[in-house]
Amino acid sequence: MTTLDVQHLTRQFISTHYPAVNDISLQLEDGEILALVGPSGCGKTTTLRLIAGLEHPDSGLICLNGKTLASDVEFIPPERRGIGLVFQDHALFPHLTVYENIAFGLYRQKPSAVRGTVSEMLRLVDMEMLANRYPYELSGGERQRVALARALAPRPLLLLLDEPFSSLDADLRVEVREQVRGILKSMHTSVIFVTHDQEEALYMGDRLAVFQHGRMEQIGTPEQIFHSPATRFVAEFIGASDFLPGLPVSGGFQTEVGLLSQTVPVNGSKSVEVALRADDVDFELSDSGNAIIVERFFRGPANLYRLRLDSGQVLHAIKDHTVIIPVGERARVYITARHPLMVFQ
Amino acid sequence: MRPRIVVYYLLFFLFLTACAPTPSPQDATPAASQPLSAEETSPSSEGTDEEIAGKLVLYSGRSEPLIQPVIDAFKARYPEVEILLKAGSNSEIANILLEEQKNPQADIFITTELFTVQSLSDQGVFQPYLPAGAEKLPSDFLGANNLWTGLTRRARVIMYNTNLVSPEEAPKSILDLTNPQWKGQVAAAGSTNGSLQAQIATMRQLLGEAATEQWLNGLIANEITFFGGHTDVRKAVGASEFKLGLVNHYYYYLQQAEGSPVGIVFPDQGEGQIGLITNASAAAIVKGAANLTAAQAFMDFLVSPDGQKLFAELNYEYPLLPGVQLREGLQPLKDFRLAEVDISRVAQDFNATFDLMENVGLP
Amino acid sequence: MQLTKSSRLTLPRRSLTRTNPRLIFAAGTVAAFVAIPLIYIFVRAAEADLAAWERLLQARLWLLMGNTLTLVLAVTAGALLTGTGMAWLTERTDLPGRKVFRWMLALPLAIPPYIGAIVHLTLLRPRGGLIPLALEALFGRPVPLPAPVGFWGATFVLTLFTFPYVYLLAGAAFRSLHANLEEASRTLGRTPWQTFWGVTLPAMQPGLMAGTLLVALDILAEYGTVALLRYETFSSAIFIQLSGRYDRSAASILSGVLVCIAVFFLWLELRFRGRARFTQMESSWRPAPLTLLGYWRLPALLTVLLVVSASLLVPLAALLTWSIQALQDSQTLTGAFRTGSQGFGNYVWNSLWTATLAAAIAVLLSLPIAIYSVRHAGRSSLIISRLCQVGYAIPGVVIALSLVMLINRGLPFLYATSFVIVIAYVLRHMPQAVRSSESAFHQLSPAIEDAARTLGRTPLQTFFQVTLRLILPGLLAGGALVFLTSLKELPATLLLRPAGFDTLAVRAWIWATDGYYLQAAPAALLLVLAAILPLSFLLRREKVFR
Repeated sequence: MTTLDVQHLTRQFISTHYPAVNDISLQLEDGEILALVGPSGCGKTTTLRLIAGLEHPDSGLICLNGKTLASDVEFIPPERRGIGLVFQDHALFPHLTVYENIAFGLYRQKPSAVRGTVSEMLRLVDMEMLANRYPYELSGGERQRVALARALAPRPLLLLLDEPFSSLDADLRVEVREQVRGILKSMHTSVIFVTHDQEEALYMGDRLAVFQHGRMEQIGTPEQIFHSPATRFVAEFIGASDFLPGLPVSGGFQTEVGLLSQTVPVNGSKSVEVALRADDVDFELSDSGNAIIVERFFRGPANLYRLRLDSGQVLHAIKDHTVIIPVGERARVYITARHPLMVFQ
Repeated sequence: MRPRIVVYYLLFFLFLTACAPTPSPQDATPAASQPLSAEETSPSSEGTDEEIAGKLVLYSGRSEPLIQPVIDAFKARYPEVEILLKAGSNSEIANILLEEQKNPQADIFITTELFTVQSLSDQGVFQPYLPAGAEKLPSDFLGANNLWTGLTRRARVIMYNTNLVSPEEAPKSILDLTNPQWKGQVAAAGSTNGSLQAQIATMRQLLGEAATEQWLNGLIANEITFFGGHTDVRKAVGASEFKLGLVNHYYYYLQQAEGSPVGIVFPDQGEGQIGLITNASAAAIVKGAANLTAAQAFMDFLVSPDGQKLFAELNYEYPLLPGVQLREGLQPLKDFRLAEVDISRVAQDFNATFDLMENVGLP
Repeated sequence: MQLTKSSRLTLPRRSLTRTNPRLIFAAGTVAAFVAIPLIYIFVRAAEADLAAWERLLQARLWLLMGNTLTLVLAVTAGALLTGTGMAWLTERTDLPGRKVFRWMLALPLAIPPYIGAIVHLTLLRPRGGLIPLALEALFGRPVPLPAPVGFWGATFVLTLFTFPYVYLLAGAAFRSLHANLEEASRTLGRTPWQTFWGVTLPAMQPGLMAGTLLVALDILAEYGTVALLRYETFSSAIFIQLSGRYDRSAASILSGVLVCIAVFFLWLELRFRGRARFTQMESSWRPAPLTLLGYWRLPALLTVLLVVSASLLVPLAALLTWSIQALQDSQTLTGAFRTGSQGFGNYVWNSLWTATLAAAIAVLLSLPIAIYSVRHAGRSSLIISRLCQVGYAIPGVVIALSLVMLINRGLPFLYATSFVIVIAYVLRHMPQAVRSSESAFHQLSPAIEDAARTLGRTPLQTFFQVTLRLILPGLLAGGALVFLTSLKELPATLLLRPAGFDTLAVRAWIWATDGYYLQAAPAALLLVLAAILPLSFLLRREKVFR
């Protein structure tokens, strides 16, 4: 059953030249986690606010469980949508304690029911000991969990998370997002969450929607997005591809690092770009090579090398963490990918 | 702030509010004057009129300390009348009267100088009434069609600091104030002051436009310090800050009562000089007064011997009603040669006077 | 251009198209109400004939304008310097006794400047002042001393009694400043001094500008005190037109000039302030550490003591002495403690209720203005917000006359009730309420309100359950400021009060203006006492949700 249905959603601010959200359509399944990912200013947060009812769409349709939330003629205010939102800066009420913050959305229920729900939420986010603290007495991770508990307490039909982990430091982020994913999955909540961090999106999302300039470039499972990016932008943004120019020849593409044997239907004989990720490329030291090793980044389990081909084109290649090759040496670069590569015209 | 302190605070002001003393009609005279009063002006002379009651709204250009005792005495006679006073500067009250002409609030207007009442009666603010006994007043001090009634006279004098100036040195004419001898040593009220305005208007009539202008220019050239009001002038002279002050005569007596070393000159008494310039305070009933009977009774009281005596006592003023005793120590006006002016003509020329003051740039 | 740019940067997610029409209507209504004196000035000025215009445009007027502008400049600079300096010393250093000084530096706000001027004149007037006399007795010859008269005297006295505006706002800014900001600057190689000028002051700029503007507009309309201190300003030209000639048209034309200057000041402030920043107190907020004064402790303490003495202790001591003298003489006492129809308690009560009501109304009216200008920043909302502040520069007498005329024409039954006084207070002191409310809204992240909406609250519920709770300290501060200034308001009160209606300020003035300082003192002293409670709101607002 479809939970959320968004059709041709568009929103234009007066002060910008292109729409912040431009003709977005997406569906969300029951219990699914959808990650909206894209660089900052790509319209993902506005999309979230439109769904929450904090912005009015210029056009388009938003339905939740078959009920129209926003259309050209209808607009249900946020308080009647049953959609929870976790804000980027958490937006905890500074004048209320943790307990009161979580109970804030439960004001229509009986006191005993409120107590039960709040305790349950506190337990869920492991904050039972801190119920009487004020927000300013909490650490970043704790605040983030309170914000989540507050949004979950009224049992929203849909939960929206706006860059929920951006204010946490890296170690905490990994830990908290595992916890959050666990909590969300255990409650079988439908979730849309916004992030600019592709790794986070790949980890958290059952599906990903990649945004750029207010448009949705692609929507699909993490694997689909990663393996078959629909556009050059998606390939670049997810998995940090380099783009190597190539000419279609019979049996593949001729590139600076040799023939790529792969048959992809292309238009005529115009030059193309082949998307190459670091694991698709390898190199070996060679004085007569076609590239120079510019830089090495130590990535823990692996070493990432930046290579500059003689044409000036930059490629990245990954090698085992034990393999350390001095920077500045010449090398011969070749493609090792055993799966089909994406080719863009 | 702890709640307890807030409570104390509120209690304190509540207490102040609650302990409002019941107004007693007795002595509220300023420190400067001797106790006098309601007792002296006993309600014996006339019987209490039963019909005179209700609210009486009084607008006064006379300052409150100088009118309140009169009100108290009136109230002693007519206890049923509740008098509401609004005292302020002459010109501000006059502006208010003009603005509220269509919705008049005041019953009576009391002013400190004639030209204000003259100007307002020209603009139709007042209604005619001749108070009982007013026919004894000099006819100069009754408005045309009885639109206003004069109350007291005040003289323009020079006061000097006796520590700095000997009686012989003191200038004998206001024209002497332009003498370089007094450069930077003279204090006067500025051009917003009604008494000064009236004096200049009078001088225009006596000396002519050119001579008055010359005099004003002389004052400015002589670096006279102009104040907002005469109280500041008398205090400054009393404190030896200035040698001379151009004031109304009672300011000298008020300053003297504070114990300051001050002397007084009633100027321009010599042959060929213009004589002592005087002005008068006045009262009028506002057109549309809500409580006409009380207003008329109040006007009657103002010109009655009791009322006139109060003015004399309170503020060393010269009552217009003949035969009222002056305050002790005050030289009677009949000792002086007074400047002779046609008040109604002066009032008509008032705009020209203001043009003159603006032209010379009087502060 | 500036305005639209800043609005975009400040609140990128707030739409400009979807402003609630009811809000625009409410803000517009308030603005129209506040514009009443402007309407009067316009109507009256239009009535003036050509001759009046010619008469007004004399050379002297420009001289007076010069006088006013230099005074405004000098007092504003003085207040800015004193206010910021005192705020820094009491908020950011280990100055001994700073907690007490915080109160003492704010209290001069409760002393009417003309009372302060009288006290300083009594003490310091050339030759006849108490201090020159004492020194003369001591040394056997006159000792040259600066006198509180003329330009420098007026600057001195007015600075003493207006710097608390800057002090309060600068103090609040110092207190809410991020420690991180200054620390970042230090790590980037700036000295503490460079940091103060380069980082701290710019960060405080909105607060400082607001305080400075209040001072500037206040001085623009000032009349009584400068007249007492023998300095002639532009407003005296207005008074000359009103006195004798009763020429309200000419006075209106001249007031219009003041309004133009006020508009210019407001525009200047906008230019200087540039892009408003979003200054929410974030969770990572941490108070900046105190600067240790070291050797400078004593000089700093003496400086603060000097300011506190001149602006508070000396006037208070004088008022206390006079009050005690008044208490010893029964006749003086009765004079001081009653008026014709009403007793002392009555005018204490009048003062309190009119000022309280005015404060409440002003804050209430400032809400739609503040919401509109902060949450829907744009050209029209900024214009409305600033329009509400122009009235501060109009002399109280002109505001009073405008109310007399308009109420008599429109609502005659309301005229001559004490409610008119309340209206005048609201009109005159609206800028203070608008400023405080705006800064309160600026400090509140819109996300907090959005959160309440997504948790099931209607806009109205959100306002009462969340917004109001959080901005209340700011609103109280604004209300306290309006209360304080209304308490000591004089020119409009004198003209508008129904006959028989007195306030503390009126009582103090009525006696003081005729030179009876003993009788004036008790009422003036009570004014200061009455100011203590509202001041506590002003001083404590930032502590509430830390």
